[in-house]
Amino acid sequence: MKTFDEFSKPEEYLSPMDKHLRSALRQWATKEVMPYRRKYDEDWKDHHLIEPAFDKLMGNKGLGIQKALFPEELGGWGIGHSDYAFTVACTLAEEVGRADTAMAVAFMVTYWPLTTILVEPHVNWRLAREFAPMFCETDKAVFAANAMTEPQGGSDIENLEITGGKTIRTVARLEGDEWVINGHKLWPTNTGGVAKLFVVPCTTKLGSTDPNDFALIFVPADAKGVTQGGPYEKAGMAADKNGDIWFEDVRVPVWYRAHGPGMDAQVFREIIPWGLVGSMGFLCGAMLNLYEILYEFVSTRTFRNKPLKEDDAVAGVIGRIAGDIDVCRILAYEAARMGDRRNKPYGHPIYSDEVVGKMRNLKDFISDRAVDIFGKAMDVLGTYGADREFDIEKHWRDIKIIQLWMGGKQLCQMEAARYFFNCTTL
Amino acid sequence: MNKTLDELFVYPKELVDEESMRVIHLVRQWADKEIIANRQEYRENYEKLFIDKRKTLNLTIGLQRLTLPEEHGGFGWNNPASTPGIVSVLTEIGRADAAIGVVSAVKCVVFAAISMLPHLDKDLCDALAPIYCADELKTASVILPSSGRVGEKTPTFWGRSIPAIVEPDGEGYAVKGKHLRPLNSGAVADLFCVVCADPLGRPCVALVPGDDARVTRGKSLLETGLNACGNAEVSFDSVRIPQSYVVVREGVVEQVYTWLNLLLGGVSVGAGMNFFEILSDWAETRTIKGGYLMKENPLCASVLADVADEIFTARLMLYSLAHIISKPDDWGYSGSQRIYTYGQIIGSQVQNKILRAINRGMELMGSAGYSKEWHVEKHWRDVKTIQSHLCGVGADVPVKMDTARFFFDCKEI
Repeated sequence: MKTFDEFSKPEEYLSPMDKHLRSALRQWATKEVMPYRRKYDEDWKDHHLIEPAFDKLMGNKGLGIQKALFPEELGGWGIGHSDYAFTVACTLAEEVGRADTAMAVAFMVTYWPLTTILVEPHVNWRLAREFAPMFCETDKAVFAANAMTEPQGGSDIENLEITGGKTIRTVARLEGDEWVINGHKLWPTNTGGVAKLFVVPCTTKLGSTDPNDFALIFVPADAKGVTQGGPYEKAGMAADKNGDIWFEDVRVPVWYRAHGPGMDAQVFREIIPWGLVGSMGFLCGAMLNLYEILYEFVSTRTFRNKPLKEDDAVAGVIGRIAGDIDVCRILAYEAARMGDRRNKPYGHPIYSDEVVGKMRNLKDFISDRAVDIFGKAMDVLGTYGADREFDIEKHWRDIKIIQLWMGGKQLCQMEAARYFFNCTTL
Repeated sequence: MNKTLDELFVYPKELVDEESMRVIHLVRQWADKEIIANRQEYRENYEKLFIDKRKTLNLTIGLQRLTLPEEHGGFGWNNPASTPGIVSVLTEIGRADAAIGVVSAVKCVVFAAISMLPHLDKDLCDALAPIYCADELKTASVILPSSGRVGEKTPTFWGRSIPAIVEPDGEGYAVKGKHLRPLNSGAVADLFCVVCADPLGRPCVALVPGDDARVTRGKSLLETGLNACGNAEVSFDSVRIPQSYVVVREGVVEQVYTWLNLLLGGVSVGAGMNFFEILSDWAETRTIKGGYLMKENPLCASVLADVADEIFTARLMLYSLAHIISKPDDWGYSGSQRIYTYGQIIGSQVQNKILRAINRGMELMGSAGYSKEWHVEKHWRDVKTIQSHLCGVGADVPVKMDTARFFFDCKEI
């Protein structure tokens, strides 16, 4: 094997843009992130170092990638219309995640709420026109957030199959031609003062389990009544800020609701696979970088005065690590392809139990493998494993939260059990 | 939580005598009052309070003298029978802060190497005890064999490269080594306990005073955890030390490993027990599915069970090791191949278990486990750092080789 690019990926699935995208992103990562990422932990609050790198990735003076989902006629790249949207998402997540998973998360989560109004077959042209200038006509990185999790419920909101939305405490009330929103959200990516636009999963009737009462409403961050807390200090993921958001009698136009009764619940289910494929891409990117670092270490350091990689027992350990990376990458792209088969004769809608159950299962598997192999790789480095100079420990700290988010491991297990064993009460 | 930690995570109490119990109780009070009850303040002023709290522990309570002989002004816990008491103390410290635990453990390890009966080194105790029994906080550091570099053949300790050497120099020895990576406190240590190779390539231990002009320290290292320990690479440019500062006794390096495995295991078990306390409090109020107590959900309960199981068995294993070490007449002394191997096995298992417990608990706690305000992530980072340092190189391969060598009489590994 010559480079990390030779870890398996299904070439026939990849977008025609794949090579170009990878090349551009890799140049950006090499120049703007890799030399500085060891200092990101101390930059968690202010983003003095991190913000310029985001501008060069997302804004128009750089790669301009934040506009990718928007239709071409609105100044975007039209990825929302592409048959390769999920596969492209996996590629983007992987390449940026290889450099810094937190940057990958912050940047990809900007797409997350926008998928509900920009991806075929659910394009909301009025909202697309409304928000296109915010993302397509600027040199600066502009972030969006999916303001989903609530303090009292944890992952309940993602567990609509069981809770039916009855635990949601953020309420939208229709007054004339405006929605009036009240509630408290906790920990969404790109909060802590970062996002300019939120999508807010909420209910129009407190305690209801009727899907028609579930609403997704867009809220500009500068709307009156929106208050953001400062970012939480965390174990890692410095480039991704998480905080509290309070909505107090926040008013937005009635047409800021993504689609309306029933369809909002469906598109909310549809964003889950996007988040899962992104998560798998982040993990694969980090694992590819792990391989690069580990390759160098085991080739230049010794045990029993032989290169580590030439010791049979150590080879057994690093062979398993590389094998796991290969398997995980194959699975991540297979998950992406499930998303891209949506609505085709041989595919399933991405809100379907099939897709959600299988993707949760794959994300759970890849997360577990990633947590395990990063821990193991640190131990291969031994005395040097915890040293920030070797970068593996940063990935180890960063990727743990990927295993925990979006309902965490246990919700993944429940979704898989429901689908594969037809469980009816979980 | 309606049971005490010791009622939940039981250990053979008969191994710990009354006098030891009093010291352990004092340390638990210190942990509860000085750190655990004031976690937020401790975190926000960590660098300053790290020193202040260590002073209370080491000077006011006097633990700096714990393993020094009584006749040299110490507590006299330099008898193998004191081993369960020593590991109990380290567990209590680790429960408060693993970084303080590590610097405390390393100090005990260094003194165990020179004073643990029957290998009391009177000359070294004469030289070091006055320093460590005085009213000034002192820090010891240990430098272990680890990975070598391709193209540089070095002496080895069971496969691990020994990067430092000692050579006779006049009436004493000269210690040489470049860019050595300590387990802890390279930037601030007053005394280095260095695993070296003698001119014949045999492993030995050299004690190097940190204030020698020929000791140079690199920039401070940023590590996953334990950063308050102040680690940095060090180089020894022919540092001259008295002959008595080199311990060449057979098994002395094995003894250092045994005690490190035991006492760092104690630190990690302590961290795991405090993680358990935090998780228990959190689980008391956390609801899922619109109001059900999370801990009453069978899947979540099974994760909680895993957490308790790992910590419970880790503590029992650790006391088994302490018991074995405390009975040299039955099983041999702590530097023998037998005890060294048991120490490696149990030490490795304990670190794995505690890390697994925290990893699993974090699965339930989600963002609360990941944010600094709950103090869980610090335990997670600290224990991982201990684990990686103890591995030294090649993950668990060296331990597996040690194990196979002892149990299967392998000759070439």
